[in-house]
Amino acid sequence: MADNAFAAKAAELIGAPSVPAMFAMLARTGRAIALPVLAGAVLVALWEFFCSYYAIRPVLLPAPSRVLATASRAWEILVENSIPTTVETVAGFLLSVVFGSLLAVAMVYSRWLREVLYPNIVLFQLIPKIAVAPLFIMWLGIEWQSRVTIAVFIAFFPIVISTWTGLMSADPSLLRLCRSLGASEWQMFARIRVPSSLPFAFNGMKISMTLSIIGVIVGEFITSQQGLGYVILFAGSKLETALVMSAILILCFIGLILYGIVGLIEWLVMRRYGA
Amino acid sequence: MPLPLPAPRGQAGYLSVRGARKVYNPGRDAIAVLRDVSFDVTSGEFVSILGASGCGKSTLLMMAAGLESITSGEIAIGGEPVRKPRPDVGIIFQDATLLPWETALRNVLFPIEIMRRSVAEYLPKAEELLALVGLGGFMHMKPSQLSGGMRQRVGICRALIHNPSLLLLDEPFSALDAITRDELNVALLEIWERYHQTALFVTHSIREAVYLSDRVIVLGGRPAGVAADIRIPFARPRPFSVGDTLEFNQICAVLREHIASGHKAAAAQVA
Repeated sequence: MADNAFAAKAAELIGAPSVPAMFAMLARTGRAIALPVLAGAVLVALWEFFCSYYAIRPVLLPAPSRVLATASRAWEILVENSIPTTVETVAGFLLSVVFGSLLAVAMVYSRWLREVLYPNIVLFQLIPKIAVAPLFIMWLGIEWQSRVTIAVFIAFFPIVISTWTGLMSADPSLLRLCRSLGASEWQMFARIRVPSSLPFAFNGMKISMTLSIIGVIVGEFITSQQGLGYVILFAGSKLETALVMSAILILCFIGLILYGIVGLIEWLVMRRYGA
Repeated sequence: MPLPLPAPRGQAGYLSVRGARKVYNPGRDAIAVLRDVSFDVTSGEFVSILGASGCGKSTLLMMAAGLESITSGEIAIGGEPVRKPRPDVGIIFQDATLLPWETALRNVLFPIEIMRRSVAEYLPKAEELLALVGLGGFMHMKPSQLSGGMRQRVGICRALIHNPSLLLLDEPFSALDAITRDELNVALLEIWERYHQTALFVTHSIREAVYLSDRVIVLGGRPAGVAADIRIPFARPRPFSVGDTLEFNQICAVLREHIASGHKAAAAQVA
């Protein structure tokens, strides 16, 4: 009995959930997944119902069942074109992370660089980037180089801003502690600034991943060579609405997975570097 | 295995503060904080700096730590003027300032990692220190899982891990409630009586200063100078109940008087 009370107290102290609390947690998680899935299912069911009830022409709005049928018929084309889209999206994202983080670090350590660059980066951000995409085609050709560049162009901004904010958010008293121990700039950076920046940096990365997809699709619209963006453009011109929607469906799926991977990495890293 | 080195005791003037002045924003908006502060601390001595908040006592401590520049005068440790932070000094900060993403044990070992010494070598000492302050069962918890008092205990261990010969304490318990504060005073004294470093303790609590110290220095005035330097006669080890004796309370009364007269002097200067 006393042991039980002790165990409960210990569990409370280390923040381990009790059994009823675990059920409540499970119920909460289940709810968080079930509710949006249910809402989505209702919407799709309504869509299906209206298409068949009002006999809407498939060119205008194909029913979900028809989209699925088309997707399975055109499966090969869709997969074939998903690969470059995915690879280029990931490449654009990774390059954005590298360039964005380096720029953020440079802006933390060089006041001069910050004063020179920051207003320009913001100004840069005001350019409607899709409008300048054709320039990249002229400069870089119609292959992956221009598509990845457009993706980086769109996706690196949130990385710079969030990583910079994160690096600057380091607790000054922790930096003072480091100085009192004679820490080098590198030690302060690696041991204090980087861990402090992680929650911010991951927020930026999640936004950046979604933007990278947009960048690649825009690139595919313009270069018209390959990829899901090209499939959408091509099928649209032939009024193959169901194929357009299948491609969009696959695109959503890819986006979800890529976003999920970033979220998973965040979860793993924050388990170590969370409070 | 690093043994806690007994500091060379009884070396007069081990820490010496000579004519220390501090002026913030020299020029037209200059704010003079400290004027001509001088005192000596013998090694192994526990000295408190007592004063009202904002009197510059933390500034003095940060100057001794090499984290704040000195306008004129000199602070020397072991005969060597302080110009930058020294590895033989341990600091306990006002809030525990623990790395929120590291466990209590890793936080205690943090100075060892920064100083690029062998973590494996100091691990037994870190565990011993944590056990000594009653955190033996909490070593692998992160600060967010610990109470405020526990966090500051970790802070004490971290300041001691690299065997410093001088301990600087910047109002370490001022953010804690009165009961936790008393507990930590006892814990600090226990651990200090074991390692016996020279200690400079900044506080605005008169009772805390008298209970812990061999000597209490009162800073007063604006800019502040040494208003009093009083020896505390109680033998060590000191039971907490020493605070209930008449003599203890008389000493507190004298110190309170000195702090008040410092205020009056400051007010007279303004008027």
